[in-house]
Amino acid sequence: MKTNGIKRKSEIKAAYLFVIPALVLLVAFLIVPALSTIRYAFTNYNIMRPDKIKFVGFENFIKLFSDDSFWQAVLNTFYFTVIVVPFQCILALGLALLISSRRRGVSIFRAAYFSPQVTSMVVIAILWTVLYNPNPDTGLLNAFLKSMGLNTSQFLNSPDTAMNSIIFMSAWQAAGYQMMIFLAGLQGIPGEQYEAASIDGAGKFKQFIYVTLPGLKNVIKYVIMITMIQAMKLFTQPYVMTKGGPQNSTRTLVYYIYEQGFQKRHFGYACTVAAVFFVIVITMSLSMKKIIKAD
Amino acid sequence: MKKSMVKTMAVVSAAAVMSTGFTVPVMADDPVEVTIWSPTDEPAIEEWWVQKIDEFNKAHEGEIVLSREAIVRADSYAYEDKVNAALTSNDLPDILYVDGPNIANYAANGVIVPIGDFFTEEDLSDFVDSIKVQGTYEDELYALGATESSVALFYNKDMLDEAGLTAPDKLEDAWTWSDFREAAEKLTKEGVTGTNIIMDQGEGLPYVLEQFWISNGTDFVSPEGDKADGYVNSEKGVEAAEFLNGLIQDGLADIDPIEKAFHNGKSATMLGGSWEVATLENEYPDLNWGVTYYPVADNDGINASPTGDWAACITKDADVEAAGEVMNFLMNQENVTTYAQAIAKLPTRVSSYDTLTEYDEYPRSLFKEQSMETGHPRPRTPSYTVLSPGFSEAMMNIFTGADVQEELDNLAADFDEDYEMNYAE
Repeated sequence: MKTNGIKRKSEIKAAYLFVIPALVLLVAFLIVPALSTIRYAFTNYNIMRPDKIKFVGFENFIKLFSDDSFWQAVLNTFYFTVIVVPFQCILALGLALLISSRRRGVSIFRAAYFSPQVTSMVVIAILWTVLYNPNPDTGLLNAFLKSMGLNTSQFLNSPDTAMNSIIFMSAWQAAGYQMMIFLAGLQGIPGEQYEAASIDGAGKFKQFIYVTLPGLKNVIKYVIMITMIQAMKLFTQPYVMTKGGPQNSTRTLVYYIYEQGFQKRHFGYACTVAAVFFVIVITMSLSMKKIIKAD
Repeated sequence: MKKSMVKTMAVVSAAAVMSTGFTVPVMADDPVEVTIWSPTDEPAIEEWWVQKIDEFNKAHEGEIVLSREAIVRADSYAYEDKVNAALTSNDLPDILYVDGPNIANYAANGVIVPIGDFFTEEDLSDFVDSIKVQGTYEDELYALGATESSVALFYNKDMLDEAGLTAPDKLEDAWTWSDFREAAEKLTKEGVTGTNIIMDQGEGLPYVLEQFWISNGTDFVSPEGDKADGYVNSEKGVEAAEFLNGLIQDGLADIDPIEKAFHNGKSATMLGGSWEVATLENEYPDLNWGVTYYPVADNDGINASPTGDWAACITKDADVEAAGEVMNFLMNQENVTTYAQAIAKLPTRVSSYDTLTEYDEYPRSLFKEQSMETGHPRPRTPSYTVLSPGFSEAMMNIFTGADVQEELDNLAADFDEDYEMNYAE
């Protein structure tokens, strides 16, 4: 009994020891900055004047609610998320199904689909800016459209097409990662289930609906969750490709935070936006979790 | 007795530890470290820095150790972001290179300190006015640079000949906006745009295009730098923006020109910087090109051309004496001359032109002439940090179909709000 108690105590001690490094990092890089953000959200902090920070109460929040650019950014962020999440997940699942077979040469495709994922987003964004160039003499995509006798598109240089252009290239870039997760999920589905299904007379499509999808349920939940959270944080693409324009069409929340804090140097206001953004993301994640758990 | 002795000893040693901990004793021969931040540049300049730093360190051995960090600038605001981040964490260098129009902002916020005392009156009189005007905020000199810049209209001679056009070779005969547009119309053909007005989508827009406002009799902001409403969005300002927008909308200029479009014969003319002369000479020897004056507004517009360049400042936390010594070194006659030569930009010292005789001959003489006769530095206002990205954004919005008046009104309102909030007395 006694020795058991001592053992337990030392186990608890060890447990704390193991937790400490993670805890220290979490506190230093997540909790403290998050708390500072909330504190600065109530100040007029100008990045150039760290010595003259003044508490202004809810002034920033009042300004925020009548700030059209902010609401546009909220709208843009949601638009991006709502479109990109299903698009990217279906694309990833499709790719995973295509390469899950054990045919020869499939590993080449696996590497090809995954390769955008290991390339820096900045590099990819610059490349796609060139691909999307509105001048058919320069932009590959427009050259292709022109050679097919179709109308060329302004892509990133029109408020109507800019966000969709970013959505397409983002899904292309990121789908490889989700594909790998789906692939692992697919390999976890026992082959007997397919056998049984085919004996029962289920075709490929029915097998997909009744065997593959239920077998992937947990993987799908996970993939949707992380894709959504990543989509909410969209920054690099507008930063490199469009600078939030044209006409506000690609200004996302995170880009707006950067722009207010660093370019315009209104750090206090940027923190206000960040605080609201934090609440939005947390609420979305929690409600997503609830919805997913419910079924 | 013993106990109290131990106590005193402890106190004394603690005090000793504390004193060494808080005030590091400065030995007479302990060298002061001075760091410089400046944008990453072409190989010739990078080499210049290595050589000059070496030279300085040898001459000041045991006193000052100079070093430089090259910061990537890209074509947006990456350099300024880095400086802002360093500000929040107190990691500023001692000497900071700043793009001309940002000087007022850093000065107004006390990030940089006046440097007038490090230069004699006589020495300063050798510098061209535009660089001193750019570096002055509220009657104090905060920055000095070795180079100036100018922008003029480069043209493809073959294409002009083909279209039956001749570019003016006297300042009085400079093309008006109508001439400029007409030329662009004649020069635009399959695969070639008539002109190129977008240097980059960041600072390049206000830098190059502000002159259209000035030439038309207005400016971005008031001469005091405290108001944009009634300037950038005035009737004359809207006219300027509409003229530029016409070039884009009618396909005479690209909204997103490729790198070096002019150099590769993809555009017949371009509003290009003085530094392009060297690039064209060295890297595009087959291109038959010329350069003419910056276009002037119709109906007796004002002859105007951009000026301004990166300049060195001393930051608030620097060892001012040592940093001043470095400034003196960087801005001495020889170094201004060699730096300007390496970077192929206009020198800021009048006496440098004695050595750089290439500026007496066309095409460089045209830039020298513009810089001395028609140069206008960008607005010297602490709210330039809002004006610059705001203007770039407004122009890109206009070019993609937004309402001109509305965009410029928004820009003016943003600027005025920032000024009121942060700098108004």
